[in-house]
Amino acid sequence: MRQRVSQLYAALLAAGAILLAWALYYVFLVAPEERVMGAVQKIFYFHVPIAMVTFLSVFILLAGSAGYLWTRAAIWDHLAIAACEVGLVFCTLVLVTGPIWAKPAWGVWWTWEAKLTTTLILWLLLSGCLLARRYAATPEQGARVGSVLGIVAALDVPVIYKAVDWWRGQHPIVFGPGLADPLTPEMHVALRIAMVAILVLYLVLLIARMRLASIEDRVAVLEENAGRSR
Amino acid sequence: MSAREGGAPPGFLGAALLVAKKDFAIEGRTRESLAATVLFALIVLVVFAFSFDLDLIRRLGTSKIVPGMLWVTLAFSAIVGFNRSYAMERARDAMTALALAPVDRGAIILGKTIANFGMLVVLEAVVIPLTGIFFDLDLVSVALPLGGVVLLHSLGLAELGTVFGAVVSRLGRGEAFLATLLLPAATPLFLSAVHCTGTIFEGGSLAADSKWLLVTAGLDVLYFLVAWLIADAILEE
Repeated sequence: MRQRVSQLYAALLAAGAILLAWALYYVFLVAPEERVMGAVQKIFYFHVPIAMVTFLSVFILLAGSAGYLWTRAAIWDHLAIAACEVGLVFCTLVLVTGPIWAKPAWGVWWTWEAKLTTTLILWLLLSGCLLARRYAATPEQGARVGSVLGIVAALDVPVIYKAVDWWRGQHPIVFGPGLADPLTPEMHVALRIAMVAILVLYLVLLIARMRLASIEDRVAVLEENAGRSR
Repeated sequence: MSAREGGAPPGFLGAALLVAKKDFAIEGRTRESLAATVLFALIVLVVFAFSFDLDLIRRLGTSKIVPGMLWVTLAFSAIVGFNRSYAMERARDAMTALALAPVDRGAIILGKTIANFGMLVVLEAVVIPLTGIFFDLDLVSVALPLGGVVLLHSLGLAELGTVFGAVVSRLGRGEAFLATLLLPAATPLFLSAVHCTGTIFEGGSLAADSKWLLVTAGLDVLYFLVAWLIADAILEE
């Protein structure tokens, strides 16, 4: 079975590569240029899917952390580690692509709006979670501490979003009830391709990180055994 | 506590109260934690007063600036307090003894939360009147709503501080790391606290802020439930 899983993973990897290339082609060569913002708007096709995947990562982190504390099975912890680390990478990408668009569109790099602020705080929470794991004396302590922090952080994120939303608002809402659809059909297709491509990329990285975590565990066990026999 | 010797272990609430009583007893004898937190709070307030003098604050609107200063002061001093609360458990590894006690670990977390909440209330009883005096605010006429808002938000802060304090103390890291973990997680509490306090200082009605108060009450319940559910993982070696 191990071999078949590896083959499936290779297929996912290939699909991700093709999808990403297709998304780049479609976004830059097929989708029309936006009337007001011009080429800058193209970043929207990557920014939005990456942001969605970042918040998906929070749910996976919650599932991995809760699953670990419930079962104490290593695989759940590997899922939590992967969701935290890959989520942090995607969160960083959101925080980088956002301002690149915001500067020409709003005239500022940053504004304290709900989605931006929540993303920044999520970045801090995920970093804290990773740091805590790094500080742990043993892998078991790291797993436990990481899960505790992961659960609290993940449950907090929706509340943070609502609280900051009441406090402020300004992020462009492109889709929503009662709003005219501003995108042309080609733009929709481009966004959908980019969404699938980014999701597959996320899954590829998530699984790769999970496998790495399990290999790290095995190395730790081997080292311990080698140390004992010496 | 000696009355319990040889007897049956206390129930959930009994155990929680015992843990809290132990913390209050230590505090009553040493007054270390209170001295440290109140002194720290005073210093932060004075630094704020230096950074924005009273004339500037008056021009910008006292009721708009002071709530933020007050809650920044309280949050940072609370972090000092949460750290002390676990520093005393680390001495001679009292934490392990506590975790080994034949009671529900959720009760131990609840006890520590009660103790931390008590510490916050005493801290606030000193810091808030001083803030009123320093920044020329009449707090006596709004004492009741202000007290309610402060208690509601302090409870959530104490719950989060108890969980994160235990984690940081297990990792053997200091106050800076607790602040790194606690402050982002406390964002909703902080926004709500500053907002509601501002409404009170402006002389407005809290009825307009009922959604904030409801969310905070919900958070108080949520944080307690989560802490209780994962208490074993929090206190494990």
